[in-house]
Amino acid sequence: MTYNLGISKIDELIGDIKGGTNIMMIGPPMSGKDDITNIIAYHGLINKNAAVIVSTREPGNNVLDWFESRDLSIPSEHIGIVDCVTRTLGFGAPDTENIKMASSPVDLTGIGVKISQFFERFWMEMQLKETRLCINSLSTILMYSNLQTVFRFLHVFTGRVKAANALGVYVIEDGMHDDKTIVTLKQLFDGMIEIREKDDGYQMRATGFASKPTPWFDYEIDGVNIILRG
Amino acid sequence: MMKTGIPALDDHLHGGIPRGKSLVYYAYPGVECNVFGMQTMYRAVSEGGRGIYVTSSTDPRMIRDQFAEFGWDAAKYGDRFVIVDGFSGLVGANSSEQYVVSTPDDADSLTQAIKQVMEDMDEPSVIVFESLSTIMDLCGESATLDAIEEWNQYAMLYDHVIVYNFTAWPYSEDTLAHVKGDICNSVVLIGGIVEKVIFSQYFGVKKTDWDEVTKKCTLYKVLKPGGVRVYLPKILVTGPFDAGKSTFVHALSTRSVSVDRLGTTVALDYGHVDHKGFTADIFGTPGQERFDPIVKLLSGEAMGIFLILDSTNTGDFVRAKRMLEITESMGLPVVIVANKQDLEGALTPEEIRRELDMAHDAPIIPVVATSREGVFEAFDVLVDRVMEAGSI
Repeated sequence: MTYNLGISKIDELIGDIKGGTNIMMIGPPMSGKDDITNIIAYHGLINKNAAVIVSTREPGNNVLDWFESRDLSIPSEHIGIVDCVTRTLGFGAPDTENIKMASSPVDLTGIGVKISQFFERFWMEMQLKETRLCINSLSTILMYSNLQTVFRFLHVFTGRVKAANALGVYVIEDGMHDDKTIVTLKQLFDGMIEIREKDDGYQMRATGFASKPTPWFDYEIDGVNIILRG
Repeated sequence: MMKTGIPALDDHLHGGIPRGKSLVYYAYPGVECNVFGMQTMYRAVSEGGRGIYVTSSTDPRMIRDQFAEFGWDAAKYGDRFVIVDGFSGLVGANSSEQYVVSTPDDADSLTQAIKQVMEDMDEPSVIVFESLSTIMDLCGESATLDAIEEWNQYAMLYDHVIVYNFTAWPYSEDTLAHVKGDICNSVVLIGGIVEKVIFSQYFGVKKTDWDEVTKKCTLYKVLKPGGVRVYLPKILVTGPFDAGKSTFVHALSTRSVSVDRLGTTVALDYGHVDHKGFTADIFGTPGQERFDPIVKLLSGEAMGIFLILDSTNTGDFVRAKRMLEITESMGLPVVIVANKQDLEGALTPEEIRRELDMAHDAPIIPVVATSREGVFEAFDVLVDRVMEAGSI
């Protein structure tokens, strides 16, 4: 069981990513991490993977809209969104087929339960054996819970990703956390997608997948395509 | 005794939770746990008592909505449904609740609010902590363990029942041992059966200090509406051709489907039952001999069996016993459904017992499946037998 990110040059350089891999994506604000996360999920969806997206920054409906607004012919029943935002805004929205509500980003128990429920549905009921779990973002969770708490949570769920041969992608805002936090969390991941600001744009590279990091690439996001240059 | 609201659990706890005692729902991460505390809380207020819900990770405005998702209208209980707001202070929001924890990441602040609400209650009440693990994350393991001891002692003083939802994240071994061991009067384990993913959930009592522990694990599902329901993943319905198996499955089920041809089952009947706190998936077999290989296939991993008989047709009784053998059901709880009791010539259960040479305590239930008469009595008896057998 292997995965690709859907970012062509980087996929070529790092080769197939084996099932059970957990990846940290770290980059500065406004660098398009939301889009990149959704594109990684989208790339799985068009390849008959399931996608579970934990959204801590915007309501689940917005995440669904991202896919719908791009008129993507993906199987919507393969998407599961854990919405950690709507109920903190005081809206008592019930769970739907695609969106399960956690109480807040503090509610790690609830987030964990909802992730598990989607995994069970995709794996057991729909027989989708390849699942991508995207948590966007850990930084919001870290705003409300301390590092130790988030580490415990991730320790459990990176383990679940491994057990299920899934692919985990966890987004972190660069510059929001101290070095200790990043170093501590890094221990849980098998590889990283790093994003940095360069001149007027942004660059990305992948590390930890091969003996050497990939080169830095300028990139541009066009719909569901990430175009790399350099 | 305060009931937990989950009848099977109350049985395991020998009637419920005595006043002044504490109980922790100790859950494996990823397994739905909070609903247990909610169900206990709702049971208390719906029976005329008072319930106090200590929220730590949910906006208090959402609490009543969360109860409503399970079909529990908390709003109608007014001031008998009390919320201690341990969340708003964390996110810097204003609270309209009477009891507010000013600094939720300080165990002393929490203790102050908890003691206040316990003192204010004019009758023994149920206090439910939405998430003890969140409190532990915020206040630290050691401070929380100390606070729990204080809360439990205070609850005992006022005869309140105190209930914690706890997710067993990888805290220190000492902390987990305390929570699972000596800090509360009772521990209910809530776990998941894992194979790549969690595909089934169970609960079982690990400890009570007021009676002997009933060492059983019970599978459950969480329904919305409905809450925690004991779940029997497979009940088999078998019996000779034309005994009324499909009719029985449909009569018992809240939803069902049959694979049949020309009015007779050729593959299986499937039904889902939701009755008296139990939920079950039931599978009906074909009755004709040429389908016997299917019967054997369907019977794998069944937890109990209904053997359906046409009470007017003694000629098929030998075949009925043969079908039980095919299912390889040795040792499984079996309930014999004496169907078609409304027809002329139907044998009574005792006559059937003699014809089949069954033991005196083998349950034979008179049923008219077409009018649903007796079908739920038969279900109740089988569920009791399955639970007694400890086969779940």
